[in-house]
Amino acid sequence: MNIENTASQMRKGVLEFCILSVIKQGEAYPSDIIDKMKAANLNIFEGTLYPLLTRLKNAEFLTYRWIESNSGPPRKYFSLTEKGAAFYAELETTWNELANAVKAITEQEQHSSNFNNP
Amino acid sequence: MKQVININFHGQVVPIEVSAFDLLKSYTDSLARFFADEEGKEEIINDIESRIAELFQERLKKGATCITDEDVNAIIKSMGRPEEFDGEEEKVSSALGGGEKTSSASSNTQTNTGNKRLYRDENNKVIGGVCSGVANYFGTDPIIIRIVFVLLAFAGAGLLAYFILWIAVPSTASQHIGSVRKKLFRDPDDKIIGGVCSGIGNYFGINSWIPRALFLIPFLSFVFHWSNWGFYDFPNFINFSFSPGAFFLYVIFWLVIPEASGTAEKLEMKGEKVDMNSIKNSVMEEMKGVQQRAEKFAKEAGGVATEKSKVMGSEVKAVAKKGSRSLGDVIVFLLKIFAYCIIGVVVITLVMALLGIAIFAIGIFPLKDFVLTEGWQNVYAWGTLIFFIAVPVVGIITWIIRRLAKMKSNSRILTVSFVSMWVLGWISFMLLITSVVKDFKSMNTANEQEVFLSNPGVNKLELTNSAGNVRNGYRYNIFRLEPFEGLDEDTAYVRNVEVIIKKALNDSFHVTMKKMANGRSKRFADTAANLIDYKVEQQDSLLVFDKGIAINKHDKFRNQRIVITVYVPVGKQIRVNRNVGWGNNVHISGPWNDGDWYDEDQGLDWRDNTDYIMKADGLYTLDGRPANENEDERERVKVGKDGIEINDDGNQIKIDSDGIKIKEKGEGTYRYNSKDIQTIDSLQQKTETEKKRAADSIKKSIEDSQKKLEQLNSKKQTALLQKSEPLTLSSYPMPLFIHL
Repeated sequence: MNIENTASQMRKGVLEFCILSVIKQGEAYPSDIIDKMKAANLNIFEGTLYPLLTRLKNAEFLTYRWIESNSGPPRKYFSLTEKGAAFYAELETTWNELANAVKAITEQEQHSSNFNNP
Repeated sequence: MKQVININFHGQVVPIEVSAFDLLKSYTDSLARFFADEEGKEEIINDIESRIAELFQERLKKGATCITDEDVNAIIKSMGRPEEFDGEEEKVSSALGGGEKTSSASSNTQTNTGNKRLYRDENNKVIGGVCSGVANYFGTDPIIIRIVFVLLAFAGAGLLAYFILWIAVPSTASQHIGSVRKKLFRDPDDKIIGGVCSGIGNYFGINSWIPRALFLIPFLSFVFHWSNWGFYDFPNFINFSFSPGAFFLYVIFWLVIPEASGTAEKLEMKGEKVDMNSIKNSVMEEMKGVQQRAEKFAKEAGGVATEKSKVMGSEVKAVAKKGSRSLGDVIVFLLKIFAYCIIGVVVITLVMALLGIAIFAIGIFPLKDFVLTEGWQNVYAWGTLIFFIAVPVVGIITWIIRRLAKMKSNSRILTVSFVSMWVLGWISFMLLITSVVKDFKSMNTANEQEVFLSNPGVNKLELTNSAGNVRNGYRYNIFRLEPFEGLDEDTAYVRNVEVIIKKALNDSFHVTMKKMANGRSKRFADTAANLIDYKVEQQDSLLVFDKGIAINKHDKFRNQRIVITVYVPVGKQIRVNRNVGWGNNVHISGPWNDGDWYDEDQGLDWRDNTDYIMKADGLYTLDGRPANENEDERERVKVGKDGIEINDDGNQIKIDSDGIKIKEKGEGTYRYNSKDIQTIDSLQQKTETEKKRAADSIKKSIEDSQKKLEQLNSKKQTALLQKSEPLTLSSYPMPLFIHL
C-alpha cells in the first residue's frame, strides 16, 4: 500500500463531484474546468477529463453545444441536464455526510493522539 | 536541421517537425489503444485531438514557425499519458456504476469475450502463452491444447508450429498500455547483414550472438580429418561445408520480418514499456547521437534492404498495427512464408545449376576443337557458351546488383534482350546437341588385329605404360573429363583403352587389338577407327602401352576406343603395373575364372602391381587366391553368413566356424595361436563326445524297437487267441511297418 496511490484514489473519488460542481456554476469549456480545478489546487490531466465528460454526457447528466472558437476548432461547452442536477444534489448530500463523518473521525483521532501524546 | 511537414489536424493546417509528428502519432495511437474498449472511444479521442489542435494553434499564433518536439511533449505532459490516467478513470467510471463495462475489466477478459481474435495469453503462460491463447480462442482447456502440442512436438511439427505462433500471434499484453510487449523486427542498429539475428535476439531477450551462431553453425562445419592429419593434407584439416538451409532461412526472415523503423517500433522490438515516457527517453537518447545516426542512415541508404522486404514489411506491419491478426491472417502469413521458401529454393537452385554448367563449360571448352567440326558446330558451341550459359549468369548478377542498389526496375528493354538472347542460346544448344549426336551415329565394322610379339614364349609378361611413372602420367585437374586425358598442345589423349586378360589356348602369349570408332556414317567411322594410332610393343618381358589414343584436331574425337586382349598361357605369369591403370588411360577388365567368363559389362577388380599366374581354371595370385576375389579397400571387412573376413594389404584374418585364421603378408601358411589350437582341440573333443552320444542313442533305439516288437508279437498271439478279429494295420502302424 503506497501513500501516493491511496491519495490519488481519494482524489479520484471526488473528481466527478467537482467537475459537476464546476459545470453547475455555468456553461463550461473543458480547459476552463481544468483551470478552475487547478486554481483550487486539484490537478488533473485533460486526458482524464475528456473521457469523464464523455461518460457523464452518455449517462445524460451533461449536455453540450458547439461554440465557434477563433483559436482553433469549435469548442464543446458543457452544461448540466436536469438529471445531472439531481445526480449532483445526491452526490452533494453524500459528500456532506461523508465529509462530516470523516471530519468527526479524524478530529476524534487527533484528540486521542494528542491525549496519548501530550 | 529538421524536416517540417504540414498536416491537416482537425481541420487545422499545422506545420510540424517530422520527429514531433512521430511523437504525436504514437501518442494518439496509444490513446486509441487505451480507449479501445471504451464506449465513446471516437468521441473521447476526438475531443482530446481537437484540444491538441487548439493548443497547436495557440503556439503558432504566438509566433512559432512550426510545432516542435518540445511543444508536443509539453502538450502531452498537460494532457497526461494514458498510463497516468489509467487508475483515475477506472475508479470514476465504476463510480458511475451505470452498467458500463470498465476498461480494465474488459481488457482482462478480452481473450474470452466476443471478439474472436487469437492472442497469446500472457497471464496463463508456460512458455510463450501460445497454448492458452489457442485454448481461449477455441474455448477449451489449455491442458488439452498443450497435450496436443506436446504430441505434435514428438512428430516434429509441434515445435515449429509453436515457434511460428509465438512469433506471429500478438500477445494479450499488447492490449495493455505500459505493459511489456514485443514484436519481431529486424534491428537496423545492430546488424551485420540484415539485422535478422539481432532482431531475433531482441525478441527472445537473448544476446544477438546466439542466433548468429545458430545461423553460422550449419554454414561452416569444422570437420577434423584426423586420419588425414599429415603434412601434405594440412589444408584439408578444416573442411568448410556449406549448408544452404540456414542461408535460405536467413533470406526468408530478411524478406518477411520488417525492419524496426522509428522510435516506437524499436521500443516494441526490445519489449520496453510502450508509453510516452519511454519514447521520450529514447528520443532524447537519439538526439544525442544525431551525427552518429546520420552516418548510419547514409550507410543504410546505399544498403541492403530490398524493395520486396519493404512491401512485405508494410503488409506485416499493417496487420500487426491493427492488432487484429485473425487466424486467417496468420494462415495467409504462413502460406506466404511457404511460398517464398519454394520460390527462393527454385531460384537459387537454378542459379547454382547455371553456375555449375558455366564452370564446367569453361573447363571443357579447350577440348572443343577435338570434338566439333569447323563451321556451324563451332558457331553453335560459341552460341551455347555465350547465350545459353553466360547470359543468364550475367543477367542474374545484374538483377541482384540492381536490386541491391535499389534501382528502379524499369528495365523492360534489359529483360527483353536478356530473355531473347537466352532463347537464342537454347536454340544453338539444341542445334549443337543434334549435330554432335549425328556425328556419333554410326559405328565402324569391328576389326581385330593380332599384335606382333617379339618373344611370345616368355614366362612372365608385365604390362606397363610408356609414360612411365604414374605420378607423371597423372593429371590432377578438376576439369578432367572422361575419357579425355592428357591434353597436349594439339593432341588430346583419350583413355578409351580396355585391357582384357584371357587364357591362351597354346603355350605362348598373344595379344590382339580391336579398334573402334563412331562417325556420321559407317564409312566415317571406319576411317576414324583406321586412323587410330595406338602402339603396343613387347620389350623382353614388358608389354608397353601407349599413354592413350592420340586424337588430333583434324581427325576429331569420335569415341575412338581400343580393346586389347592379352591371352596368357597356362602356367605363365602376368603382372599389370600400376602405371597402366586409370591414371594412364588404360582400363583393365578381368581377370576372370572359369565359370564366370568375361562379360563385357562386368568390370572385375584387378589388383595392380601384383603377380598373377594362369592356371587351367583361371587366374590366381601366387599365393593361391583367385584373381577375381575382391580385394578392394572398400571391402576390407567382409561379414557374411560363413564368417568374418578382414583383409589388410595382404594380411588376412578369417573368423568362421573353423576358428580364427590369421594369415600374414608374404607367408603362405596359416598360423594359429595357442588360443586357436585350444579352440580346435575342444571342438574335436566335443565332436567325439557327440559321436559317442549319437552311437549310444542309435543303439538304444534299436534295442527299444526290438523290445517293442517282441511285445507286439506276444500281444498279437494273445489277441489271436482271445478274439478272432484280424489286426488292422492302422492300430500299430509304426512297429508293423518296421516289422514288414
